[in-house]
Amino acid sequence: MIHPLILVSVFIASTVLGYFIIRTVPSLLHTPLMSGMNALSGVTIVGAIAATGVAFLAGDGVLSQIAGGLAIALAAVNVFGGFGVTHRMLMMFGKKKKQG
Amino acid sequence: MGALQIVISALLAVLVLAGISMMSKVKTAVAGNLLSALAMLCGIVATLLFAGVVSVWTIYVSILIGALAGSIIAIRVKMIQMPQTVALFNGLGGGASALVGILSVGGDGAFVRFTALLAVAVGMVTLVGSLVAAGKLHRVLPQKPVVWKGHSLLTVLFLALTLVFVAAGIFAGGAWLTLCTAGALVSASLFGLWFSLRVGGADMPITISLLNSLSGVAGAIAGMAIGDVFLVAVGGIVGASGLLLTQIMCRAMNRKLMGILTGAAVTPSAQPNINDNEELVKRIMDLEKKIQQLEQMVADLEARVKTLDGIVSAVPAAEDKPTAASVLSKAKDVIIVPGYGMALAQAQHQVRQLADKLESRGARVRYAIHPVAGRMPGHMNVLLAEADVDYEKLFEMDAINDDFKNADAVVVIGANDVLNPAARNAVGTPIYGMPVLNVDQAPEVIVCNYDLKPGYAGVENPIYSRSKGVYLELGDAKETLMRLISGIA
Repeated sequence: MIHPLILVSVFIASTVLGYFIIRTVPSLLHTPLMSGMNALSGVTIVGAIAATGVAFLAGDGVLSQIAGGLAIALAAVNVFGGFGVTHRMLMMFGKKKKQG
Repeated sequence: MGALQIVISALLAVLVLAGISMMSKVKTAVAGNLLSALAMLCGIVATLLFAGVVSVWTIYVSILIGALAGSIIAIRVKMIQMPQTVALFNGLGGGASALVGILSVGGDGAFVRFTALLAVAVGMVTLVGSLVAAGKLHRVLPQKPVVWKGHSLLTVLFLALTLVFVAAGIFAGGAWLTLCTAGALVSASLFGLWFSLRVGGADMPITISLLNSLSGVAGAIAGMAIGDVFLVAVGGIVGASGLLLTQIMCRAMNRKLMGILTGAAVTPSAQPNINDNEELVKRIMDLEKKIQQLEQMVADLEARVKTLDGIVSAVPAAEDKPTAASVLSKAKDVIIVPGYGMALAQAQHQVRQLADKLESRGARVRYAIHPVAGRMPGHMNVLLAEADVDYEKLFEMDAINDDFKNADAVVVIGANDVLNPAARNAVGTPIYGMPVLNVDQAPEVIVCNYDLKPGYAGVENPIYSRSKGVYLELGDAKETLMRLISGIA
């Protein structure tokens, strides 16, 4: 088990780093940025996989396995859908560049 | 396994950050997005290995189902539906985090219980709030703020209850822990419902950004509960990004975040005692509906008169009285101001055609984009990009605001509050102090709005009643634009 203090400091560090990097994104790209972030928030799929897998191997009840499966599926919709629409939007921005 | 896992997680998090920083330029943005996606994929594989769950087949089935559904939505969805799509995806991520919280709440230690319960709470607020926001954006729920009896009190109560359940759960075990989990889940959901129903249409850019931030925070907290560094790091990044966007949106509207959440400035002053007498309220609402219908009819008639006027005045003496088309025919420097109305009318392609026509006549055409035009950050940019408008012609408010006075003509398409000069001096109105586009400084202003009703903020726009240099082309923007295009000699 990773020490809680490490986890909290990782959270703080990534928040601060993220804040300063994201500040460089112009408002032109705010919608793709947001939907990209949205896709990233589906990262919880990682947690869902770990929790479900452990529950499965421990032979936990059907209920928690269904809940885990649901969590994975929901997060997967978030990840695939999110990256998908972001890609579509960004391709639109790029389109003009190639022609000109 | 600890150290190796932390190192790999940190590396992947850096990869994600690199992807994001590549999204700050149009040229590298596509690659940046793919890089983030790749980092995510690696994170999933790494988790499968580190958690020792490669053999669990149900995981792959679940991923497949979700991936299929997500991909289908991503391919099918229209650009115009982007705000509600983003909100929907966002909510699902929050829901997944809440479920991870529920699954891990039984783990050892107070820290795990606390973070798991918090993940449940934040996840549920994100899920319910995002679904309501998506419903409002998709127009299946009322756009206007919904205020129920004792709204503010209940909102605070649900929030307090959520915190109590989370706090109590730290010290609970067995059946009590289950009770606390259920309590946190229910009260957080109710809080999400109550606060999001109160948000009105124009505050959506702020709400969506905030929910985006919350979904990241929910993920990060869930990551703490299960001890996953990658999840914590990426969740933190998303949380920061959403917070930053929320901040930018709030500044652009001169609104305080708390004001939007508690509905302070949104509730129209016309209905102060809304909770007192339901019968009366109902009658007022009916009357208001009738007034709206009448206003609509008047606006329609006005539009028709205007059209006929245009035809009549254009035929005998096109030279004498300037029309919108004749102004544009002569203009050499034109600024286009799009708003949510352009999105509603889906007129971005016609806007592009108008710009093409003007440019073919040697005019310079630029677009002025207010930060909160539309229903999500950058909404106008996406729609114009869909219509193949070169992004180098899109200008942020601060970059173009000084040029309005030198422009030959300004074309407003479905925008209102973002160019209302009343924001500078109408003390006490919701838009007072909000930075606006200096459209009023332009010599000739052509307004292609659906009607002349005040915008969402309910403040009359003095530009419309200006005596000179204003051409009102009312009605569906698609049609008025087509008329303008064919009218340009």
